Amino acid sequence: MNEKYKILIVDDEKGLRIGTQRLLEDEGYDVVAVDCGEDGIRAGTEQDFDIAIIDLKMPDYDGLEVLKRIKNSRPNTICFIATAFASYDTAIQSTRLGAFGYIPKPFTPEEFLYQIEQGINQRNLILESERLKKEREENLLELASEKSRLNAIIKSISDGVLVINKNGELAYYNYAALKFLDLHEIKIGDKILPLLNKNITELVEKIFSSETILLKSYATQIELKPNNELIVEAAATPIPHPDGSLAGVVIVLSNITEFKKIELIKSQFVSMVAHELKAPLAAVQGYLNILADEKINLPKEKRQDYLTRSIVRLKSLSDLVNDLLDISRMELKTKHREIEDININEIIKNTLQLFEIELKKKEIQVEFKTEENIPTIKADYNEIQRLITNLISNAIKYNKEKGKIIINVSSSTNYLQIKIADTGIGMKPEEKAKLFNEFFRAKNEKTRGISGTGLGLSIVKKIIDSYYGKIDVDSEFDKGTTFTINLPINIK
Amino acid sequence: MDTTKIKKILLVDDDIDLLEQNKILLENKGFTVITAENSEDGWKKFQQEKPDVAIIDLIMEEMDSGFVLCYKIKKSEHGKKIPVFILTSATYDTGFKFSASTPEEKEWIKCDGIINKPVVIEELLAKIENFY
Repeated sequence: MNEKYKILIVDDEKGLRIGTQRLLEDEGYDVVAVDCGEDGIRAGTEQDFDIAIIDLKMPDYDGLEVLKRIKNSRPNTICFIATAFASYDTAIQSTRLGAFGYIPKPFTPEEFLYQIEQGINQRNLILESERLKKEREENLLELASEKSRLNAIIKSISDGVLVINKNGELAYYNYAALKFLDLHEIKIGDKILPLLNKNITELVEKIFSSETILLKSYATQIELKPNNELIVEAAATPIPHPDGSLAGVVIVLSNITEFKKIELIKSQFVSMVAHELKAPLAAVQGYLNILADEKINLPKEKRQDYLTRSIVRLKSLSDLVNDLLDISRMELKTKHREIEDININEIIKNTLQLFEIELKKKEIQVEFKTEENIPTIKADYNEIQRLITNLISNAIKYNKEKGKIIINVSSSTNYLQIKIADTGIGMKPEEKAKLFNEFFRAKNEKTRGISGTGLGLSIVKKIIDSYYGKIDVDSEFDKGTTFTINLPINIK
Repeated sequence: MDTTKIKKILLVDDDIDLLEQNKILLENKGFTVITAENSEDGWKKFQQEKPDVAIIDLIMEEMDSGFVLCYKIKKSEHGKKIPVFILTSATYDTGFKFSASTPEEKEWIKCDGIINKPVVIEELLAKIENFY
């Protein structure tokens, strides 16, 4: 016997008590013998005995009561009830209370020791299975087989979840995780680290290698499919045991592909804006540097010309900043709208008046045709005016000298239609395709010298979209462009 | 190295203000400056004037029209003899980064150097001297 098994004897009968004690000690057991129920309860609950032999009838306590108390606090102690008054009822009752066996008195030493041996075997089985269970729990391997609703929920969420225990074994996974990581035919308990993306393995190892367990997550973004087709964020968080030691790591994988796409568009926009802002600034700075340089001799007219050009570039810079602010307000929807009944013809007439000088300068004729009884639309006056202004301004800027602008207003049951046609330089098909892109400006031999921010039509499109309207473009290079706008009449 | 022979510089840029400024700055240093506002005109003037140096803005009508003109010039008989520089602010703002520091890159871009905007005349002159 490698270790001494500990046996408790609770019996008020002195002869029997001493007899069994001697018998057991001769067999190599470590024995504690007490003579009353009270001492039996104390000893049996304070220490974890391998086996307890309890006499059924004692002056102070009933043996069944002693059995109950010991089992309550030491469920793995194997208990026997010993009695000279064996009855069917007490046998059943004691089994119910957790007794392993029933030893009828008197007994032969062989019978007795055989029973004790059986008890020891049972005790070893229980301890071994307890140990295994504890080990599995420690390695988190029980997680996957837990039949809870929470488990079912985690299995079906769209984020990937993986749990890896401190031995690097897979302790838990859900379907999304397998899909993200393209894992097949894996099972709980597999050594998983070599099968994972190396970025994830690094996160896990970072947690495993830290000496103290910090409840700190590590996250990284991983391109799982090339060309930004699938980007996930992997976050690894340590799982502690109740005693604070490290049990494993939980990894959560979220699909952030769409966010990354938006981020990319945003940063491209920012760099485009920076570029557009820099061009006029650089021009003005260049002129001022030359004007300030005493070593450069300039005739008076040149100096004046440079100042005028600087003013023009600063004006375009300020226009650009205003357009950018408008776009940002529209996108953030921070612009307060005052919806009122709008008479579109009135806005068109007013706008044409504002452009009188430009129209005269280029000798452009305007034809303005409208149906009778055009209904009003509910909209914000300033926005509709901005829309008309941008379109008419383009019709003038991109027109030819002595060209024409034809404006047609009509209505159907649901839509108000505004057509603005010019006889200008028109667009090539590839230019038309990019027309509403921010900062796109047709650049060809005909557009040279025409200034603009490249945001006018993008603002037009945003305004029309915000009223659930539609804008169509028809254009022929060197012939002219027609914009057709349909705005719903009953806008709430 | 005899830079006194370098007289004529071709400048191609679609920003007429920057074109004017660089022209003045170079004229002030004693060069004759020929300007063009687009690559087509730039190519024409290159053939007519046979400049000693060509400086071409990268982004004009089309994203890569500066490259295209540069390529055309470098392939021509006269272009092989002169330095051709690409003028750009692309390296700062657009994240569109490139350099022409290695022979491979120079071979690919076909130019003899990159000049960042705003142009620092002294740097430009140093680059020209380096070539000759």
